[in-house]
Amino acid sequence: MSRAQRIGIAFSAFIAFAVGLITLLSLLLGGRPELYAELAGAPVFASLMTLPAAVMLRLVAITSAVTIVIGISNLLYVHLGRVVRGAFFSIVMIASFALTIWWYWSKQGDTSLLAAVQVPIESALAALLFLSMVGGGARVLGKRADIWGLLFVTVLVVVLLGSLPIESLAPVRAWSDWLMEIPVSAGARAILLGIALGTVVTGVRVLLGQDRSYRG
Amino acid sequence: MDDSTLHVYTILFVMITVVLVYTSRYFLARRARRLSQGRAPGFKRLSGWLGEAIEAGRPLHLSFGSAGIDRENAAVAAAEAELFYHIIKAARSGDVAPVISTSSSATVPLCQDTIRRAWDGDDRRARAQWFPGGSRSLAFAAGLTATMQVEDPSAHILAGSFGPELALILDSAERQGQGSFAVSDQLEGGAIAFAMADEVLIGEQLFSAAAWLSHESTARADASAQDLWRGLLIALMAILVLINVAGQLSIASWSLVVGAALALAFIGIILFRRR
Repeated sequence: MSRAQRIGIAFSAFIAFAVGLITLLSLLLGGRPELYAELAGAPVFASLMTLPAAVMLRLVAITSAVTIVIGISNLLYVHLGRVVRGAFFSIVMIASFALTIWWYWSKQGDTSLLAAVQVPIESALAALLFLSMVGGGARVLGKRADIWGLLFVTVLVVVLLGSLPIESLAPVRAWSDWLMEIPVSAGARAILLGIALGTVVTGVRVLLGQDRSYRG
Repeated sequence: MDDSTLHVYTILFVMITVVLVYTSRYFLARRARRLSQGRAPGFKRLSGWLGEAIEAGRPLHLSFGSAGIDRENAAVAAAEAELFYHIIKAARSGDVAPVISTSSSATVPLCQDTIRRAWDGDDRRARAQWFPGGSRSLAFAAGLTATMQVEDPSAHILAGSFGPELALILDSAERQGQGSFAVSDQLEGGAIAFAMADEVLIGEQLFSAAAWLSHESTARADASAQDLWRGLLIALMAILVLINVAGQLSIASWSLVVGAALALAFIGIILFRRR
């Protein structure tokens, strides 16, 4: 790695660190005059502290909007490459893209195609999703022939039976409610806590410029 | 607890995490190099999939789902980019570059950058593929399953943010005889992954997955910082529960509570050592 590259890496890591730290401090300390009660112009200072975060978040919103263009370019690039090889789905995709653009342009912003095509297709996919999930649930014990697989299926069956509107299944419903309120709720919270901790540690790694994307 | 106190605690939490990350990196630098990949949870079949991809000239399919660097789950995208880097590097001796898919347009540059760093071959630009997510990511799943019939990957490594749409992708993989590894930051995605994927990771393992594949001490040190925080949190919750029980039950004397705390700590240490 050349000296110029090393300087570039250090510079990008420094920029990331500085911007990240300033935004974090601005988010945590901005807009809270009670934190600077001893200062003379506490409200003005607290308001000024929110400025870096507001600017950065605005920049993120603008950049996100621009990345839609990157996404569409990528989609066209990938599928045009496949059209040359005669991929049927890619031909349909490119034709649909062209038709939608033409429709929107010639009908002065009419979005009826979205309602007429995409909404029914997504509804059909949601129905397919149900079948896939039922099929997957039925195959659990084939994939995980252990105590955890058995527990998973047992809970699944109890909760499904408990949700049926049949009077004779009232005891099962009580079990189902208890499962959802105590063990499932506790497990879900534990998983979410773990994910939150992982998010903080990863965020700190990125904030400190230790992420691989800053290493050139 | 008022907002100002909460803010102070938040700042303290971030600062302590910074110290923990650096401390772990310092102390675990040597120990981490001795960790064996054989202990990696959820990666038992990965080497088989990699071998199949290299021998048959088929790609691996890696997916971020809807995790995006412009969204609230940016940390998930960053963590999985690291995991994908190590997987692509392991597949580097093959002829066909892995495909990375995402439904977040802002993540497309991250996909391309990950492939650029880990893969030396040609046509790397077309290996990062974006599919519009739609309101429930169903359009993403539909586009992905159609494209995967063309690419014919040996396996799917789905690590990122997935909801119920994961069922469609895993069902398609199952029908085509392709292997699948899945982990998601969403609870619905995690449950579907457990039921339908060949290999699965749960919850916070999402963030430490790269550490198991990496030979770099820093990755393992970051995972250790996370483990340490989790341990502290569990200990704190256990102590609060015991104090609460001691205050409510007449039979629970302080000596009994201390005994129970010691027993719990002992069991915790044994379980931690046996992982």
